[in-house]
Amino acid sequence: MQDNPLFSANWALTSVVFLCLVIAAFFWSFERRHASTKVITLIATMAALAGVGRVPFAMIPGVQPTTFLVMITGYVFGSRAGFMVGALAALVSNFFLGQGPWTPWQMFTWGMSGFTAALLAGKDKKFKRRSFIILAAFWGYLFGWIMNIWHWVGFIYPLTWETFLATYLASFPFDTLHAVGNATFSLLFGKTFYNILERFRKKCSVTLSDLHSMDRSK
Amino acid sequence: MKDAFSTYHPAVNFCYFTLVLLFSMFFMHPVCLGLSLSCAFGYSVYLNGGKALRFNLYYLLPLLLVAALVNPAFNHEGATILAYLRSGNPLTLESIAYGLAAAVMLAAVICWFSCYNAVMTTDKFVYLFGRVIPALSLILSMTLRFVPRFKAQIKVVSDAQKCVGRDVATGSLRQRARHGLTILSIMITWSLENAIETADSMKSRGYGLPGRTAFAIYRFDRRDKRAFLFLALCGGYIITGWAFGGLYWRYFPTLKGAGPELYSVSLYLCYLALCIAPVVLNIREDRKWKAIQSGI
Repeated sequence: MQDNPLFSANWALTSVVFLCLVIAAFFWSFERRHASTKVITLIATMAALAGVGRVPFAMIPGVQPTTFLVMITGYVFGSRAGFMVGALAALVSNFFLGQGPWTPWQMFTWGMSGFTAALLAGKDKKFKRRSFIILAAFWGYLFGWIMNIWHWVGFIYPLTWETFLATYLASFPFDTLHAVGNATFSLLFGKTFYNILERFRKKCSVTLSDLHSMDRSK
Repeated sequence: MKDAFSTYHPAVNFCYFTLVLLFSMFFMHPVCLGLSLSCAFGYSVYLNGGKALRFNLYYLLPLLLVAALVNPAFNHEGATILAYLRSGNPLTLESIAYGLAAAVMLAAVICWFSCYNAVMTTDKFVYLFGRVIPALSLILSMTLRFVPRFKAQIKVVSDAQKCVGRDVATGSLRQRARHGLTILSIMITWSLENAIETADSMKSRGYGLPGRTAFAIYRFDRRDKRAFLFLALCGGYIITGWAFGGLYWRYFPTLKGAGPELYSVSLYLCYLALCIAPVVLNIREDRKWKAIQSGI
């Protein structure tokens, strides 16, 4: 077993490098699109809101509005914006709460929560309240599960099923808190925030198409 | 700023932290870990003063202890058996050593990151990466600027709501929650309106037009060249040494690795020189400053 190169590999480092590559791929695809000023300010605003929302809740384990805000952004503005807002919210809030090897993991996980919320939205763009709440609660658990992998490969040496299960059992109460928090935020604020963001999205697109028609009339 | 290393060119700062962080994560040799942690600890205390000391004692020390204790509880490999746990599994010297090493590695990385946060301010980051990833670095600096702005605005909004009797601190729980919701939705609407205005303002000032340059106050001078050369030499020597097994260390089944041979010691010294460089720079700067002062 000792001679197995998989066993002796530095999994903590390997996984971080892999995650950084995934995040970099998303960022690069965003960078190449030459986003308009509206998209840039929108992403910065939502990322700041989601990041700020995390700080006052830092004392309560698990409960914070960040996941909800990231998901609703992804739901209204699409998968790419959702990922960007999630990744940036993690990065920016960690400037206040402390950067570390967990930063790429949080960036990836929150980014993916925004990404999947966009997949739920589909084409008709109506607010599917029940499915949104279920997805938000599910992400409460999934967030913990993905972060557990970091904890597992980073701290605990024998990577066996035994230690794996022990890690997941230990985090279960916190994940449940996170899931309940997400569901509550979605229940209370879901519809309101959806309306506000949707109105803003329409406002943006109206201004943009006005500009286009002006360009054409020239 | 008091820190002399921060006055170097951002590229030097960034390369330094990349090198030190990577080395700290890669080299599990006990000597390297000890050097890295002690230098990172010293520099973070130099940079952040008592705050860093408190953080390190209250947060890092328990983390270190927990990580060091958890590992031998789950890990039963290694040849030197010290005792048997109640579950019948052996407690080995090697698993304790590995747990300690992993904990020290993590603590060193966190310490280095706290130094990184103090030295590599966002303007330096944007300056370095502004040309490679212009949109992203702009978003990052805007987000960081919005955070204090939103904090100030939420106070303004809640004060205004207080004046019309919608205070979050009074009334029944239900009323309070409703007032909180009102404040939040006002806040989010305000910040999105603010985003539209910022976007229009940026557009009218020619964002994204070709041929525009950014102002930066940084200059790559002779001092930075020397620092760069030092980084390249140290980094190169350490990496070659590592490739030739000069920093080899294994934890299982028995503790074994590169010992105190001349070659390995030269590598340790080189690593020490790299890790302690910012502190040395600061001490030298302080001396120079004092010497000039006493000259007057």
